[in-house]
Amino acid sequence: MNAALLAERLRVPICIALVLGSWQVIFALGVVPEKYFPSIPTIAVAFWQMLTDGTVISAWATTFLRALIGLVGAAVLGIALAILSDLSPVLSRGIRYVSDVLQPIPPAAFVPMAVFMLGLGTKLYAFVIILVTVWPPYLNGVAALAGVGPVQLNTGRMFGLSNWGLLWRVKLPAALPEIFTGIRYAATISLIAVIVSEMLAGRDGIGFMIFKKAFALRTPEVFGLMFLVAINGVLLNGLVNLLRRRLTGWHIGMMERPE
Amino acid sequence: MTGLLTASGVGKSYGIGSARMPIIDGLNLSIAKGEFVSLVGPSGCGKTTLLMCLSGLLAPSEGAVRFKGETVTAPPIGLSVVFQDYSRSLLPWKTNLENVLFGMRRVVGMDTAAKKAKAAEIIAAVGLSGFEGHYPWQVSGGMQQRVAIARGIASQSELLLLDEPLAAVDAQTRADMQDLLLDLAKRFNQTCVLVTHDVEEAVYMADRVLVLGPRPTRVVREIKVDLPKPRDQLTTREDPAFLHARHEVMALIRAMRQGKALA
Repeated sequence: MNAALLAERLRVPICIALVLGSWQVIFALGVVPEKYFPSIPTIAVAFWQMLTDGTVISAWATTFLRALIGLVGAAVLGIALAILSDLSPVLSRGIRYVSDVLQPIPPAAFVPMAVFMLGLGTKLYAFVIILVTVWPPYLNGVAALAGVGPVQLNTGRMFGLSNWGLLWRVKLPAALPEIFTGIRYAATISLIAVIVSEMLAGRDGIGFMIFKKAFALRTPEVFGLMFLVAINGVLLNGLVNLLRRRLTGWHIGMMERPE
Repeated sequence: MTGLLTASGVGKSYGIGSARMPIIDGLNLSIAKGEFVSLVGPSGCGKTTLLMCLSGLLAPSEGAVRFKGETVTAPPIGLSVVFQDYSRSLLPWKTNLENVLFGMRRVVGMDTAAKKAKAAEIIAAVGLSGFEGHYPWQVSGGMQQRVAIARGIASQSELLLLDEPLAAVDAQTRADMQDLLLDLAKRFNQTCVLVTHDVEEAVYMADRVLVLGPRPTRVVREIKVDLPKPRDQLTTREDPAFLHARHEVMALIRAMRQGKALA
């Protein structure tokens, strides 16, 4: 019992130690030249220097904010599109065609044209990130709204809900857990899109810094920046999960209840 | 016809042209205030469709349903349906109390505190005091159905349409729930229409049993149940009048199932 508890507590440290250990073993074996595969201490030192001279903090905040704003925009737009699709079969088919065409296009492919149309600024980021991030919340939203059961709908109607009331008081709450699954997926896409956009068209942000440092062969710093990208992922996921627990905690409880 | 709820010449069919499938045809019934009426019929005769039409959730193709003299076009205030599928009818993101309060959203002349007090009173009446803060999925099936019944009553209902409300609960719970329903109907002045597959239940609960014919359905027989009240799970079910009524209903349904012409 005590050993099990200890293992449970130490799970995360053990995993981290394993990853770092394997890294050091590969480094020590020398299969990749040190220039391209620095040791953990070298990366740590480079990372610490970037942190202390301040440049990386603003780049980090910029990138995180872009991903966050893109995700919020994509979630709002995706849910709005899903609601429109639910209201009208004609709109539903129209939006579905657009989504089928646009969805497979990777964020990198949008950037060059977006630079011409929108310039190198906030508009570019918003456009690219939202355009590639909007689909999971939209698709999950459509499926979830369509999947609300007839008994729930009849219950709402019986107590006098109008079509709008039904949407607001019954359909959306019922669909929210599935929509959140889409938003969690969208969070990952949003992080990818922001890094790619910054690499291709950026003047700042972590993506831009990675590109710059990589061409200057500042490998330890590149790895340090990649670590920050990972931290962004953890942060954004944490935020989404926080909101998910607040809004759909009932569903998490329902799924986790002992049978 | 005067009654709390009347259906005159009600017909309902799905599809058009050669694919038209009539479910209900020329159905008449009248439910008086304070009555407990059971509707039974052969499987697949369209009982649930009928209940949907009676409640205003479904528009009849022909004829009209009237509640308190007014033609029903949408679920009217004062009428509520208790669905068989209680686990889907209760909203899982609301606690039991919130579900009951959801049923009271059209109740006027009560502030939130008064509504909460009333809801708590009805929850106590269905025997669920202490479970107000639980979510429906945290309590048993029988308890969930009691929340759904409480919600129906709380909507200032005068008429409860019960769509096989006890079909999904276990046999022991079922007997308790039958007596609870009868008790609640009396205590909260509810007129009840019970749709059920269970002939014994239909007779045990009702003042009147309406037997529905095969599809397209209509009322083919009315059987008055003259049994003393309050009903008792042991003595009522041994009463010759109970056995006689049960026999009559079962014989009718058996005849219909075997496709015999109706007398």
